[in-house]
Amino acid sequence: MPNQIVTLGKAPRSLFKDNVMEILPEGGNLNACLTCGLCASGCPASGLSDMDPRRFLRMAALGMDEEILKSDWAWMCTMCQRCISVCPMKINIPQLIFNIRASWPRENRPKGILGSCDMALRHDTCSAMGASEEDWRFVVEDVADEVREMQPGFEEIQVPMDRKGARYFLNQNSREPVTEPDEMIPLWKILQQAGADWTYGSKGWAAENYCMFLADDKDWEHIVRTKAKAVEDLGCKVWLNTE
Amino acid sequence: MNVELLTLSEVESVSGDAGNFTVNIKKKPRYIDMNKCIACGLCAEKCPRKVDDEFNMGVSKRKAAHIKYGQAVPLKYAIDGDHCIYLNRGKCRACEKFCPTGAVNFEDREETVPVHVGAVILAPGFKPFDPAGLDFYAYTQIPDVVTSLEYERLLSASGPCMGHLVRPSDGREPRKIAWLQCVGSRSTNRCDNGYCSSVCCMYAIKQSLVTAEHTTGDGLEQSIFYMDIRSHGKEFERYYETAKASEIRFVRARPHTIYPGRENTGASMRYTTEAGETLVEDFDMVVLSVGMEPPEDARRLAEKFGIALDHYGFAKTNSFAPVTSNRPGIFVTGSFQAPKAIPRSVAEASSAAAEAAAALIQARGTLTHEKSYPRERDIVAEEPRIGVFVCSCGINIAGVVDVKAVVDDAKTLDHVVYVENNLFTCSADTQDLIAQKIGEHGLNRIVVAACTPRTHEPLFQDTLKEAGLNPYMMEMANIRNQNAWVHQGQPDKATEKAKVQVRMAVAKVSKNYPLYRDTVAVQQKALVIGGGLAGMSAALGLADQEYETILLEKSDRLGGNAWHLTATDRGRAVRPVLEAMIDRVENHPRIKVLQNAALESAVGSVGNFVSKIRVDGESRAVTYGVAVVATGARESRPDEYLYGQDDRIMTHLEFDAHLNEGDGIAAGMSSAVFIQCVGSRDDRRPYCSRVCCTHSVKSAIRLKEANSRMNVYILNRDIRTYGEREDLFRKARDLGVIFIRYSADQKPEVSRDGDGLCVSVFDPISRFPLRIEADAVVLAAAIEPNDTHELVELYKCSANADGFLNEAHPKLRPVEMPVEGLFVAGMCNYPKPIDESVGMAKAAAAKAGVILAKKEMQLDAIKSYITEKCDGCALCLDVCPYRALQLEEYPGEDGRSHQRIVTDKALCKGCGLCEATCPKGGIYVHGFTMEQLKDQVSAALAVL
Repeated sequence: MPNQIVTLGKAPRSLFKDNVMEILPEGGNLNACLTCGLCASGCPASGLSDMDPRRFLRMAALGMDEEILKSDWAWMCTMCQRCISVCPMKINIPQLIFNIRASWPRENRPKGILGSCDMALRHDTCSAMGASEEDWRFVVEDVADEVREMQPGFEEIQVPMDRKGARYFLNQNSREPVTEPDEMIPLWKILQQAGADWTYGSKGWAAENYCMFLADDKDWEHIVRTKAKAVEDLGCKVWLNTE
Repeated sequence: MNVELLTLSEVESVSGDAGNFTVNIKKKPRYIDMNKCIACGLCAEKCPRKVDDEFNMGVSKRKAAHIKYGQAVPLKYAIDGDHCIYLNRGKCRACEKFCPTGAVNFEDREETVPVHVGAVILAPGFKPFDPAGLDFYAYTQIPDVVTSLEYERLLSASGPCMGHLVRPSDGREPRKIAWLQCVGSRSTNRCDNGYCSSVCCMYAIKQSLVTAEHTTGDGLEQSIFYMDIRSHGKEFERYYETAKASEIRFVRARPHTIYPGRENTGASMRYTTEAGETLVEDFDMVVLSVGMEPPEDARRLAEKFGIALDHYGFAKTNSFAPVTSNRPGIFVTGSFQAPKAIPRSVAEASSAAAEAAAALIQARGTLTHEKSYPRERDIVAEEPRIGVFVCSCGINIAGVVDVKAVVDDAKTLDHVVYVENNLFTCSADTQDLIAQKIGEHGLNRIVVAACTPRTHEPLFQDTLKEAGLNPYMMEMANIRNQNAWVHQGQPDKATEKAKVQVRMAVAKVSKNYPLYRDTVAVQQKALVIGGGLAGMSAALGLADQEYETILLEKSDRLGGNAWHLTATDRGRAVRPVLEAMIDRVENHPRIKVLQNAALESAVGSVGNFVSKIRVDGESRAVTYGVAVVATGARESRPDEYLYGQDDRIMTHLEFDAHLNEGDGIAAGMSSAVFIQCVGSRDDRRPYCSRVCCTHSVKSAIRLKEANSRMNVYILNRDIRTYGEREDLFRKARDLGVIFIRYSADQKPEVSRDGDGLCVSVFDPISRFPLRIEADAVVLAAAIEPNDTHELVELYKCSANADGFLNEAHPKLRPVEMPVEGLFVAGMCNYPKPIDESVGMAKAAAAKAGVILAKKEMQLDAIKSYITEKCDGCALCLDVCPYRALQLEEYPGEDGRSHQRIVTDKALCKGCGLCEATCPKGGIYVHGFTMEQLKDQVSAALAVL
């Protein structure tokens, strides 16, 4: 953005921000900004593209819709909520960002996130890495065998799969079975030590949900419903998401 | 004598109505007999139980037997039943064993006592916000993150570090300290304190400046992280500027998370500046500037008294009656009513006293006590017969000074006929003993070698009076504060010094002579100057106490600025209340209103002033005992931003007039810009006009409520909607008003652009230069005082550099002027909103009422007097700080006219500057004559 002069005319403004306010409880407090900068101080994306959450919200308030709607910065936000957590006015900046993402044509959204969302839609596993039910079952069994063989004290370790009526349904980020399978082991050990009544599911086990980060409501919902159904089908009480 | 203190007490229940309440009070046991306790401190010294000292915010320890702090009133110890070992485990009683007066009473029990009163004032104060719940500040995890109150104690000379600042983690002196503002204020996330606590900006600035005085060496760095600096009180802006000039760093940023420093000493913070730069900075200490909350038990107290609280839990009042609760006869004051600093708390406390006094008018004087004394013995013809009482003060004095040696030495002195040593000369039984010895030995002069006359002289004077002696026939030698306490390592020299101190006191008292306090008749009438809201409130406050009041107004109508104001900050329409108030003033049987009136002269002093007042060209004389000055202030005329060149550029009051008249100028607008600090906070007027931020915010809300599609901007340097006015600021933002900050060196520019107006300003948040098209530009013009030169001349009172009239002391005596009998109220003192003007006026009425309550008032006896040596050279005239001296002409025996000085006893404070200045012994001060002082000095020199 060049150091342009921003003209604020007399005509009433219809702002993107106002549309977002209409769909948020309390309007997300988007007007209440004290411009104190607490959000900017804590934001991991502050300074990227010469932007920070305070500046972004102010530009929205001034009606610089064109600039904020096409800003890449909306995609640099990690949705971590560090801003709203400390904001004295509890301003829902993450929701403003989400709605800006949603306003982008789907095909123009960042390739990485888009690709991961699309990949997750392919299988009922919901894996953004594209892991199938078969691959998943194989990796878990293989690693579990290895532990029983190689690790003293864990000869009897159980890694249940599709065990109906277990209390906990455990999700797993699919990066682990696909690229770092050994990283699943510590959690298994903890669960065994704790005597937890748990299971993996062959469907809906992938913890990540890139469709949410893509701000694709329909696909986000599809992913969540697929996962929820997997939990219900096994009759588990608690859905543990490790993401 | 007319105040009964009930300590360790709480209200249990209330019944009855205004004029006749019964309040049941639960008195918790103190386990110390207040009549016997002499505050020697032995109980605390011997008590083995250590407890966190809540007065020092837990940063140090106290004992179970304790006083809260050295200045506690009453200065009596108490045993904390929750922690006392004996009371909890049945063994110890060490305090009882060591108490020299047998004051410890473990049989003390809780009791409930009914109190019958006509009016009640509630002043439960505030509770500091507890930041433990804000995890991102890590207050409970990082030792060097402290609250401002803890820091205040660490900094205090009477605190746990004796004023030598050290940080909690490692006991080292911090070099780099940060203050974080608005912790628990102006926030509705994780706390419900949407208001501004109104005092934290100033205390943070004060602490940062005081820190420099309490640390050693160079390289000190103090940084204040803030949103808006709210230095809105009198002289506050200058203080802020002083801090900036003293290299206190003000950073407009708020750090997000505090991380521990190395080995959990110090702290580290990440913050983003307005320029968008993100920095990580380490500090030795971080101070959280915590806000004020209504105390936890205030809600229960309010329920018991049946009074309403507002949505934050502060007592609900209205701007025209700021200390009056919704229930008749119950008044509220201090930070229980709203967050506020000391000056307003003190003023409004007097205001509550005025309201209570008016409510109790029928019973005034019926329960007041006055002590009676035996007839005074005539000792003028007697030779001096001096009694000397040397106090051990437990071990306070005797632990260093050999008091027996002092006694023996005193016995050798001329005129001394009786000497004795007491464990505690101030104790009640010693007073009886002194009176007895006066009778037995025919003593006519007393020396008490003990502590300071500042606290104890009145007690001993009273003992003399009870024994039939003139109270001025005594002297004190301070062998504790000025000797034992400061020479602990040199007992021999201390003893020698104590002997000399006693010799000096004996020498002086030998020349003492009876002194009598003059009385002056009080004209039980008041003059109020200025008929605005403050003046009328003061007049009503006085007249409702049944004092005749003259209200002087220079114009042809009462009401002043209030005619131009639309609504109070709490949203109440001004006009109906104003009209009702004017009606009450004009028809009050005890108020005489003089319009088109001017003060021409003023002579006399407290109790007796005489003035000439010109009304409609005719001069008349009035007499009065007190005067309340409420001459007001006005909106200034801007000389910038094209003001005067275009009708669409207006001041607040001009814009309000358009809005109120509904003349269409406002109706067709689609864009309005307010510019703050027009003529305030600059070189010419280096003060904050205090009311303009709230005014602009209110006007902006009005515009948005009339037309939500309108674009409204407020260009400001800091928004100063202090206290609960912050709710208005929030409301304006919620309605879509945009606040844009500008700095003094980069002001907005207003230009005409064809038919339109255009305001250019740089927005530091978006970091874009903005060009705002506007239908109207409203200038928040500075408030300036009405001219006070003449008044200052007439009354010899004073104004500050900005022309606002001065109070005697900004915190302790906020409505009294330096000239006794004169009071100040309203905007002539400093710009202020309606509630504060009314509060101050009622306070002035209360303070004035104290003088008017009596037909005559007693003056102190220590006054200057003229000797026959005065030749009228008038050297003393210039040095007298109280303007108590005047030159007068008198006919000499030679038939010629001579000059000499006369003292106005009502004004003289007995400071002695005149006596020290006079080269010829022409003026002395009673009780401190040259002869007395010379003998005292000779006694000191005789031992060399």
